[in-house]
Formats: sequence, C-alpha cells, structure tokens
Amino acid sequence: MPPDLAQAWALRRPERVLLLWCLLCMAIGFALVLGSVHAEGRTLTGNDLLPLLSYALALVGVHLFLVLTRFRGDQLLVGAVAFLAGFGLLAQYRLGAFNGQDGLALYLFPGGVLVMLLAIGAFMGGRYRVLGSWPWVWGGLSLVLVAVLLVTGQRFRGGVYAAGLITPTEALKISVILFLTGYLARYGQALGDWGRRLYVPLPPWRPLWPLAAFWVTLTGLLLAQRDLGMVVILSLTLLVLLTAGTRRIGYLVYGLLAAGGLGYLVIEVFEHGQRRIEAWQDPFEDPTGDGWQILQGLSGMYSGGLWGEGFGQGSPGYTPIAGSDFVYSVVGEELGFVGCVLVLLFFLVIFARGLRIARHAADRTGMLLAGGVTAVLATQTFLNVGGVTKLVPLTGITLPFISHGGASLLTAFTALGLLLAVSDTATNSPRKSAQTQAGPRPKAKPRARTRAPAPAPVPLVDEPPDETEAGAVPHAAPKPAPRRKRAPKRAPAPEADGPD
Amino acid sequence: MDSGAWPALRVMLHVAFFLGVAFILRHILGMTRAEAARGPQGRPWWLPPLGLVALALPFVAVLAYQASWQLTGVFRPEFVAFMQSHDRREFNPAHLIQRGRILDHTGEVLAYSQEQGGKVSRIYPYGPAFAHAVGYTHPRFGVTGAEAASNIRLNGGAPDNLAAWGELGRHLLTKTKRLRGQDLVLNLDTRLQITALQGLGGRRGAVVMLRPRDGAILVLASAPTFDPNQIGPGLFLGEAPGKPLLNRATQGFYPPGSTFKVVLAAMAVESGFSGTLHCPAEGFTTSKRYPKIRDHEFYTGGRRWAGHGNLDLTTAFAESSNVFFAQLGVRLGHEAMADAAGRFGFDRQVRLYPGADRAGNMSTGRMPHFAAKDQYGVAQASIGQGRVLATPAHMALITAAVANGGLAMRPRLLADEPPAQLGQYMTPATAARVGRMMRKVVTSGTGKGIETPDLAIAGKTGTAENAHGPSHSWFVGFAPAQDPGLAVAVLVEHGGYGSATAAPIARDLLVQARDLGVIR
Repeated sequence: MPPDLAQAWALRRPERVLLLWCLLCMAIGFALVLGSVHAEGRTLTGNDLLPLLSYALALVGVHLFLVLTRFRGDQLLVGAVAFLAGFGLLAQYRLGAFNGQDGLALYLFPGGVLVMLLAIGAFMGGRYRVLGSWPWVWGGLSLVLVAVLLVTGQRFRGGVYAAGLITPTEALKISVILFLTGYLARYGQALGDWGRRLYVPLPPWRPLWPLAAFWVTLTGLLLAQRDLGMVVILSLTLLVLLTAGTRRIGYLVYGLLAAGGLGYLVIEVFEHGQRRIEAWQDPFEDPTGDGWQILQGLSGMYSGGLWGEGFGQGSPGYTPIAGSDFVYSVVGEELGFVGCVLVLLFFLVIFARGLRIARHAADRTGMLLAGGVTAVLATQTFLNVGGVTKLVPLTGITLPFISHGGASLLTAFTALGLLLAVSDTATNSPRKSAQTQAGPRPKAKPRARTRAPAPAPVPLVDEPPDETEAGAVPHAAPKPAPRRKRAPKRAPAPEADGPD
Repeated sequence: MDSGAWPALRVMLHVAFFLGVAFILRHILGMTRAEAARGPQGRPWWLPPLGLVALALPFVAVLAYQASWQLTGVFRPEFVAFMQSHDRREFNPAHLIQRGRILDHTGEVLAYSQEQGGKVSRIYPYGPAFAHAVGYTHPRFGVTGAEAASNIRLNGGAPDNLAAWGELGRHLLTKTKRLRGQDLVLNLDTRLQITALQGLGGRRGAVVMLRPRDGAILVLASAPTFDPNQIGPGLFLGEAPGKPLLNRATQGFYPPGSTFKVVLAAMAVESGFSGTLHCPAEGFTTSKRYPKIRDHEFYTGGRRWAGHGNLDLTTAFAESSNVFFAQLGVRLGHEAMADAAGRFGFDRQVRLYPGADRAGNMSTGRMPHFAAKDQYGVAQASIGQGRVLATPAHMALITAAVANGGLAMRPRLLADEPPAQLGQYMTPATAARVGRMMRKVVTSGTGKGIETPDLAIAGKTGTAENAHGPSHSWFVGFAPAQDPGLAVAVLVEHGGYGSATAAPIARDLLVQARDLGVIR
C-alpha cells in the first residue's frame, strides 16, 4: 500500500536530520576556507558561495526526490555519501578547482547527484533486475570501450587517456559489475558445482570458460594501457562476486593465488609498474625524482600532525596532483590524522551499508549488484588511500566522491545510485544462503525447506511478477496471498535465477 | 572581518567542524542500533558482521601505517632529513627539530646543524678528517657512521628524562614544540685523529687507536677520505680515485704480514712451546713443489747470509723470522689455526655503535679453514700471508687484548656506552709474555728505529707482500709497555717496510698522546 506523502515524509526523517548536519558541517568548512582566503588578503565575492549553494540545493533535491518517489531504501547511505561528497566539494574548492575558467567544475557535483537520482528512479522497485538480463551486452560494451580507447587514446604519464584527459575506462566499473551480475545470476548454480580430480577440488570448466576468456581479454587490453589499478579493482570484484554468487571459497583461494603469480609477472614485465614499485619500496633512493610525490604527500601529512591546522591553512600545492590522486594527503595535512580517521569512518559506513544491502537484497541479482558496487568502491578506496600512505604501491586510482575527476565522480555516483536502487526492495532480514536457494547440491545436508515468511514491507511500485519457480526447490511454505494484483515480491520466494 | 580575531575564530571553526562530524557519526550509530532492534534478534547491534570486519581491517592497517609517518615520523630519520631539506611548508614541524651536535671527548664540535632561510644544513668543521667515523647525513645519499647509528637520538626521538619526554609528546601532538636533539659525544680525539691523517700524508691507509682498558676508540682514520660537507653523486659513481667511501680501518681486508705473529706467538706460548727451531738461510717449505719461505734479510746486503741458526721464540719474534714462524705454524697444525680463528674473533662483525647497521660495523679478519694436508697454507698463514686477512681495526683489537691481560674489550665510539667485554683472547700470563716479546721488538728487534727514551713502546712491525704492488707497511703496538694506556694499529698501503713507514706514525701518535695527557 503506497503510503501517502506525509507518511513518506515522516519515514525519511532520519535522513533529513543527517543531511542537515552534513550541510552544517560543510558550511563550517566553507567558513574556514573562505576565512583563510580572506585573511590572505583576497576579497570575497558572491561567487565564492556558489559551491556551498549548489551543495545545499543538491541535498534538498535528493531528499525531495526520494520522498516524492516513496523511496524506501537506505537512509544512512544517503547521509554518508552526502557527507563525503560535500567533503570532496570542500577539498576541491580549497584546492582551487573552481578558480579555473571553465565553469564545468561547478556543475560536476550536481551532475553527479542527478545521475545518481536518475539511476535510483530508473531501477528502484526491483527494476534493477533488467540490468542482469543481458550480461553479454555489458561484457561486449566493456571490451569495445577498452579496445577503442587503446586505438584512439593518447598517452600521458604512462597511462592511456581519451581526448581531454578524461578516463572513459571508469565506466568499466559499472559495466563489468553488470556483466558479472548477469552472468553469475544465470550460471551461479552451475559454477558452484565443483568436481574433484586427484583430491584437488576443481571448478566446473564448462560454465567457467566464457568468463575466463572474457577476463583474459579484458585484463590483457587494460594491461596494454598500463591500467594496473583498474585490473586490480575489477579482478578483486570478480573474485568476491564469484565467491558470493556460488558460495565457493575456492574461487577466492585459487583467484588470489593466480593474482599473486600474475601480479609478480606484471611487475616484472612492465617498466611503468616497476618504477612505481621501486619508488614505493624505497622513495629515499631518488627523493627528488620518483619518490618526490609520495614524500611530499607524507611531508604534508606530517605537517598536519594529529589535528591539522584546519581547512585552508595547509600548503597542499607542494604535492603534485594533490587534487586527484593525492587528495587524501591534503586531508591529512589540513585536518590531521583525526580528519583522515573520520573520512575513512564514513567510507566504512558506506561499505557496511553496501554489505548489508547485499545481504538483505530481495534476490540474487540484487545481492550480486550490491556486492559488486561495494567491492569496487572499497577496493578503489583502499588502493588510493594505501597508495598515498605508502602502504601499497601507487596505482593512479582516485578516491571515490572526493578526488577531482569528472569520470570518476560520475561513476561513483552511478554505482551508488544502483546500490540505493537495490536497497529500495531489500528485506528486513538477511537472505538465506544461496545454497538453499540454488537448489540441493551433491553432499549438501538436507535442510528444512520451510521458510518463515518475513514481515516484508509492501512493495511500493509496480514490478513485473517474475515468480518463476526454481523447479528443484519444493516450496513448502505457503506463499502470502497477494493482497492486490501486485505480487509481494519481497516475500522470500525462490527468485529467478535465470531461465533454467 | 577583523584579522586579529581570525586565528581564534579559525580554531573555533576547526573544533566545530570536528564536533559536527562526530555528531553525524553518533547519529549514524544510533540509527544502526535502532535498525538492529527492529530486525530479527540474534546478533547484538554492536557486533559487526564478519564481512565488514574483513573489509575494515585493510583500512585499519592503512591508518596504523599512516600514523607511523604522520604522527611518529620523527623516528624515521631519512624522512626527517627529506623534510628538512625539501619541504617548503614553513609550518612543517620537522623544521623545528634542532638536530644534536656531535662532539669528541674533549668537547670539540665535529658536526652541527645550521638553519639558514628556513633550510637546515649540516656542517662538519673538520671536513674530511672524520668522514668515516662521524659519517654524514644527506637527504639524497642517506646517513652513515655515527650520524646514522644515533640518528633518532640526534633528532630528539630518544628522550632520556621526563622533561624531554614531555617535549617529544608535545612535538608529536601539537607540532609546536621546538624539538632539540641530544648532543652525541664520541670517544674520538680530534688532535690525534688529525695527527694520524697527517702521518699517512696522502698515502692510502688506516690508523686505529684504542684504549685497551675499556675499548674507547680515540682514532679511526682512513685515507683517502672525502668531504662530508660536499657530497655529490660522483663520490658514489666511483669517479673519485682510491675508493674514498671505503672505511679502510674497519672494512679494508689486508694480509696482516708479520703483525700476525702476535697471534701465533700467543698460540705457541699457550701450547707450551719452548726451546728452539733451526732456521736455515735457504728457508723452509713443506713440499718441494712450493717455493721456500725465507727471511727477507736473506736478500739484503748482497752477500751470502749464514741464516739465523737456532732461534728461540722471543728472538725469532724480535727478528720477525719467517722461517721460524712458518715451522712453528706447521708444528702447531691446522687445528691450531682453526682454534686461533675462533679465539681471536676472526670472521665476525663487531658493532662500533649501538644500533648500527652493517656499514657501521667493523669486520674482523678472515681466516680460511685449512685442510690437514694443506701444510703449506698453514705455513704461509703463520707469517700473515696467503689466505689470512685482517682489518686494521682487528689488528688494533688483538694488540689491545695483549695490552689488557688477554681480555679484548668491545671497541666503542660513543662515550656514554658502558664498556663491555668482547672475549678473552689469551690467558693473562700469555698476554704478559707476548707483551714482553713485543717490547723487545722495539728495544732490540725490527722496531728499534722508533725507540724513544721517555716512552716505553711495545709493538710488532709487519711487511705484507701483496699482489697489487709494493708491500703494505704495518705496525701494531701499545704504550707504555708496563702499564698500557693506548693500543694502536697503523697500515700504509704499499708503504714498504713496517719499521720504516708505519712504525714512526704509530710512535708519533703515542708520543703526542702522552704529551696531551691522554696516556696517564
């Protein structure tokens, strides 16, 4: 029963409170930056308040949109992202991203929010299932994108970029997740059917080889572009989704073993990677050359100490590319160690919500989609933050929501939109393991098939009744009778695992 | 806005920002809690699911590692050096660190830091004289020597009292405290060090002077040397002649020549050897296939020499008879050589500073393992030739052990490091006997050229043949003979006879030390 507007408004009150606090924090932050700019002797104009204004408008827009569409998804996630995005806006403003002649930077954040809202609107209410229907469309698109970029792109700083130094490969993060989601929703059951030869457990080859072939091609193309970071992100996502989609830890074990071997080979072969590895292992070997950037970043962080001097007080200009890859070191410089801890806590909130959405997703597709988005964002965050602090080698990866970079920002917002769309129809209790839903496996203990119908929220939007029964599973529990024409999709019925 | 109020306002806004963020996080926590209460019971709300823990761990690792740079970066000396010379942020607290000075035992400054225009540079007033012992600190080329060994202490990272701890804590937390590193006092003596280098006079070589009683190093000189004030890439690319970076005193392996007879004499005394050995003029060999080992006097004068005849240990030592000691070594046998290698600490690394890396260590000698059949090898080693090698520092250490009743003390450069025993190289009785033999070398043997009326020097000359040119000139010794105050080892590469080149350098040093009152 769709609640009326007043109900929806009341239901999203926690989100509203969160967003208001975010706005307050950012206002304080802007006051800090503007104050220090003013103290340096620059006169302030009304234009200087435009970023804050756009932020406020975006938050209001997001909230009204979610209320008006009776969105029932995650409220915490919205708040956490609002904070990080605002923080990113502040950092970019502080680094002078809005001083440039092109007004594009100003529209980037509202644009990202718009994309997120579009994704939510388009795929909420279970409509995201459409995305998992044609895996090979997404797979093909991914390969074509990389191949075209390889042919037409230009080289810069050891990597390949399209015209204007934008990185279209960012879109891979979405398209590859969608490919994996579709593929695993369809073949997850078959992929979970491991065999044994000479006491060594082996994955089923028949459903695996198209995936393996796709992966070899994609990885090869990406490595030809020296995009090691993207390879790591996508490969880790593949392993996580394979394991989550099949409940076979073996994929993770074999995958990590293979990744270790492959990683060693790649580092041996590629000079670009090798130099980065050397600068990583011992930046003091060449402190004014290869080690300069990371050491300047660390110097800035050391200057920041525990608390930092506040936004606008540091000198992040001494660190090369501070705005994009090294924005985390700027946070460390101006807000100190405490600021870094706070930022990472917000990222962890996002990942925790992502994991929860995956666990509570209404169906397999939703679980895979949410898991994929979380894996991509978490890996990306770790690679960036670990690289800047010299824990892992630098991979030239941006920090989601905070780094300067149009493609990166739009991708992160799109991914988040998908995650929120999945959360709209998430149930209130965790999904049962894929094993029971995917039908009995050899050697699996027989389980009670009865499942208590969870107190599922009523769907708010029209959705296609795709209650295709997985034939192998006898469904003992009586299905809750449809109250209206719309079937309660949220009930833990065995969902469509593809055409069986 | 009133610019005077801005700093206070800034701090308030800064705190307000943090408080706001903390409130948001608290709110999120509360929402999580409420959500868990609504959902199915089972897991307490504060217990995160396993997946989240696994996901959070890498980020905890990032923060922990980040803290080791951001908060306690002062414990990373290379990092501090980099920031001091390459970070233009004026508020970087690394610029506030006043690196401690390095002093010799009389208080002479060997290294200090100077701040000029916000840039800190390290000055070495004596330039090349202490390049190896004191080392250098350079943002690009790293840190060596005492600078490296006590780096953290010099940077103020090793407080030794409560006030210093408080200072360090405030530096780490608020970054406002000007951190003053501790001064480092070395046992070196500037005057003797300079005399030693002047004695070497541009020749390649090394001088090591120790106090036998407690192992204090007063001179650690190696030539050629370099200027730590002007470090450049050429130094490391091998452009400079003579490998000036090599610390010949602690890392240069040379055949010890006749100075090794000190070791052999001690072994002979301890094995109970007494009596005489016949030393023919034509020399001694273990097999017809090998050339005879002779006494080098054989060739001098151009006329036929009758040989030493029968020699006892003391005379043979004073005259440095190769024929005698080669025979003696063969009699003692290859097992005795292995025994000597163990007792005299061959094939070891001895650290000169606490916490030094490998480059700050001193290497001792190299004693190969001789097979039972390899009698000629033993004979050669017995006169300090062939495959046996030793660093000048090791020879100084052995000499100091003789002077200290057979007990070797750990050589140490830092004045505040307590003396420590390194090993009993020989019995006190043996040490006394060998000491008397060494005194006789100077009174009536090969070293009589350096006998001075008012200082009783005991020693042993050495002339080590080598494949690269004229013989290396060695002298090891101590003074005064009755109550040894200092032990010294001098090596001059290709310097010819030990008695002619190395011995006078050692004498000048010991006499000056006596004049300065270093020998009481």
